[in-house]
Formats: sequence, structure tokens, C-alpha cells
Amino acid sequence: MDRYIIELEGITVRKGRGLLLDNISLSVPRSECVGIIGPNGAGKTTLLNVIAGFERFTGRLSLFERRESWKRDRATRLRIGYVPQLFQIDPAFPILASEAVITGSIGRLGLFNSPGRQERERAMQLMEMMRMAHLADRPLGQLSGGERQKVSLARAIIQKPDILLMDEPTANLDIAVQKEVMDLVSEIHRQQGLTILLVTHDFNMLPPSMSRAVLLYRGKTIFDGDMDTAMSGEILSRLFQYPLETFDRNGKRFVSYD
Amino acid sequence: MTEQLVDALAYLPIQRAALACVLCGVSCSLLSVFVVLMKMPLMGVSMSHAAFAGAVLGMLLDINPALSGFVMCLLAAGVLGPLSDHTDMAPENVLGIMFSFLMGLAFLGLGILTRTKANALNLMWGSMLSLSGSDIAVLTFVTSLLVLFVLLFFKEIRLVLFHRRLATASGVPARAIYYALLFLTGAVVSSNLATVGGLLIFALLVQPGATALQLTYNLKHFFIISAASGVGACVSGLIISYIFNLPSGAAVVLMATIIFAAAYIFSPKRMAAKLKKGSIYHEDDRR
Repeated sequence: MDRYIIELEGITVRKGRGLLLDNISLSVPRSECVGIIGPNGAGKTTLLNVIAGFERFTGRLSLFERRESWKRDRATRLRIGYVPQLFQIDPAFPILASEAVITGSIGRLGLFNSPGRQERERAMQLMEMMRMAHLADRPLGQLSGGERQKVSLARAIIQKPDILLMDEPTANLDIAVQKEVMDLVSEIHRQQGLTILLVTHDFNMLPPSMSRAVLLYRGKTIFDGDMDTAMSGEILSRLFQYPLETFDRNGKRFVSYD
Repeated sequence: MTEQLVDALAYLPIQRAALACVLCGVSCSLLSVFVVLMKMPLMGVSMSHAAFAGAVLGMLLDINPALSGFVMCLLAAGVLGPLSDHTDMAPENVLGIMFSFLMGLAFLGLGILTRTKANALNLMWGSMLSLSGSDIAVLTFVTSLLVLFVLLFFKEIRLVLFHRRLATASGVPARAIYYALLFLTGAVVSSNLATVGGLLIFALLVQPGATALQLTYNLKHFFIISAASGVGACVSGLIISYIFNLPSGAAVVLMATIIFAAAYIFSPKRMAAKLKKGSIYHEDDRR
């Protein structure tokens, strides 16, 4: 029986005297696309890091119906793809865009095996799908932020994960590029049936296939449910401590503020 | 002049010095790739001061200075690794504190040391012309270990240099690679300390990598260019010092700097970036 692919029960993360996460519980079935939404400092990234295995925690975490600590074996790590926030890279750093994509496959290859033709072809396929095949031989540090985020996404996908974790993948990108990245996330979600957890604070720029929202405030879950229900002026105003209104246009709900 | 050089090479101490120079060039410049790409220029300085402090303490306690230097390097690596892993401190700050602490320790030892100050000062400048066969054997072993490490784990190294957390996320033992690197840095620095001296080690742990950074986007070529420029600096520096009767360490460091400066001036990467900057107002090169 395939119940929940990710299950958290009473997850708490402490830093010094403070609580970054306070008794969080969350169950995610296979192939769901979940948004983790909240203001700065809500614990969104910490929650993602607990699932990714970058952060110590107390409480119970199960992945693929197996109990996990913050340390992971290779097999489990390989099943989790991770896309970080846009990070700085030295423009002179010696790595090409296609090489960066291929680095996603080396954990799967294991030590002493080098990436070969198969990995290169797969990387090119992914780059074509993301409409950036022409960038394959460009140094990564010279690409724009949006292009680098697409490389990051391709890098995570080439790993063939079951779960994709994304930490504010569109932060610091311009609107057109944000939209392009989010549409790609949706496309990948539909095509590959991945389970996706995406951290964001921008509720107007979500992947179209995201159906569920988990709203975090100061380390606590204040809402967990349908995306449409979450997108209400009342709930979001409370979450962000700022008066927000929603309106519908072309069958889509938007959030506006003064 | 060439005849003079060939004649000189007939002597065993000169042969050993030349060999040690090449080995030092290879090992330090391979490490400089990591130092430069991980943006940890202080790593070399810290490690060489750890080795220096260890060696001075070894002399005080009548232990083989190379061995005590190596042990001190391992201790430094053992502190540096977890500190930069687990605290909120930037690795650069951790290195800065360690470097000054170790320097203090070394000079304290130097102050107490009364008998053999000259030996301790050799650690700064090296003593190329009095190397033993076992010195060469140790250098050869450590250099081969490093070369093997780079060859065997090339793809893992690429990813760890690129982004450590992504490496972990992709199932690569990033921490093990990082610690192996710290260990190898300690081994290279402490084995080179008695031969070429601490001053040369700082220079060779940064300059060859910085030279390669000017010249290539290909990581394989990066390692090769770095090693070539390191060996080039060592050999040319040694020849110049022999011909003009100059201090060899200084000659090597200056040659490394000249090679770097040449690479910087003629850098195709920098020129391409300059051209691009100039064109930004003429066309949209964002996509």
C-alpha cells in the first residue's frame, strides 16, 4: 500500500534558545505538488532542509515509508532532488552549463564511474526540453539568473528523483523568467508525476499544478489544505500581518495589496 | 650557461633539489586549484603555520620536526573542518583566527628554542641543498597520493568545488572529500616545509590556481595549467637563482608572480568579459 511518501510528525528544530520549527506535522501523498508559503523567518527553508537531510531535528520523519534521521544513505538522497535558491557563482568558475547539469547524475553513477554518452545525451534532452540547449557550452557563471535556475532544475531532474524540493527557486528573477520557471515546474510535475515541495513567499507566482498549500508562521503550521481555500484575503492577511485582498481574473485568483 | 647547468645537475644534492622542486610545484599547485576555487586563500597560510608551529614544538621536544609538523597540520585540519561545518562562522574567519593563533604558537616556541634557531629558520626558507633520500621519498609519496586523489575522484571534486550542499544532495560524500582534501593539504604542506620552506608554500598554494583561473573554463585543463605553471615557476626560479646567485625561494615566488601577471594580462576570459561589457548597450545579451 502506497500511503504517504513524506510524513512528518512533531518535527521541532531548535537554534540556540529559539524554535525554528515548532511541532510540525505534514503528510504528503505521492505526486502531489505542495507549496510551503509564509513570510520571512517562518521556517519554510528549515522545513525543506529537514526533509532534504541538511538539518538536525527532533520528532519523527518518514520518507518512502521509512524512518529517517538527518543523516541519509546514498540511496535515499538519490531519490530526493534539490533546487536551491539562486546562488552566486564566480563568472570565471570552470564549469559549463551542460557539465553542471551532468553533476546531478554522478551520485547515481557511484564512485569510480565517469559520466558517459548516456548522461550527456540525457543532459542535452533536458536542456532542450527547457529551451536552453544553445547554452550547453557556455560557462555557467556567465548565464543569467533565470538560466542558472533552469540549469539547477535540470540538474535535479537528471538525478531521477521521486521527490523534488525547491527553495524559493524564483527569488531574484524577473517576472517573465519567474513565470517560465514555474511553468516548467508544472510541466515536469505533470510529465513525471514527481512529488514536489516548493518554498515561496510569492503567492501570485505559483506553478499552475500546485494544488495544496501549507502556510507557516513563526515555525508553526497555521493552515494546511486546498490552495484555493488558502488563497483568501483573511487567511493571507493573518499570515503576512499585512492587509491583503484577493480577486479573480480569467479563472485565476490573485492577491493584491496597497 | 647551459653547460654550467648540465654540469651542476651531475651533483646529487642538485639533482635532489631539482626533483624536490618539481614535486613541490606539482603538489602545491594541484592544491592551489582547491584553494582558489573554494575561495580559501588563507588555508595555505594557516596550514603552513600549523606545520611550522608543529615543527618548532617538535624541535623543542626532540621529536622529528617533519612528523610533529604533520601532526599539527592534521590537528588544524581536524579543528578547521568541523568548525567551518557546524558554526555560524565563515570559514575565512575561522582560518584567520587559526592562522594568527598558530603563528603566535610558532613564535612562542621559537623564543623558547635556544639551541637550534637556525634549524627552525630553515623551515621558513627551506634548505634545498641538504635534502636526504628519505625527504625525496616522502615528497614523492605525498605527491602521488594527491595526484591519485584528483584522478580518482575528479567528478566528485568538480561537484564539491561547485557547491558542497548540492554534492551532498546528489549522494556524493562531500564531507569525506572535503576532509580528505584538508588531510592532503596538511600532508603536502608539512612534507614541503623542511625542503622548500613556508614562504614558498604560501605562494605556490595560491598563485598557480589563480593563474589557471585566468585561462580556462575546463576543470581538467585547470588542473593541468595550474600544475604546469607551478612547476614552471619552480624550475625557472631555481635556474635563475643558480645563474645569478640569488636566494632560490625568492626567485621561485617572483617567477610564480610573473607567470600569474602574464596570464592576467593575456587572459582570454577577461578579454571576453570586457568585450561583453562594452556591448551591453548595443544588444540584448540577456538570453
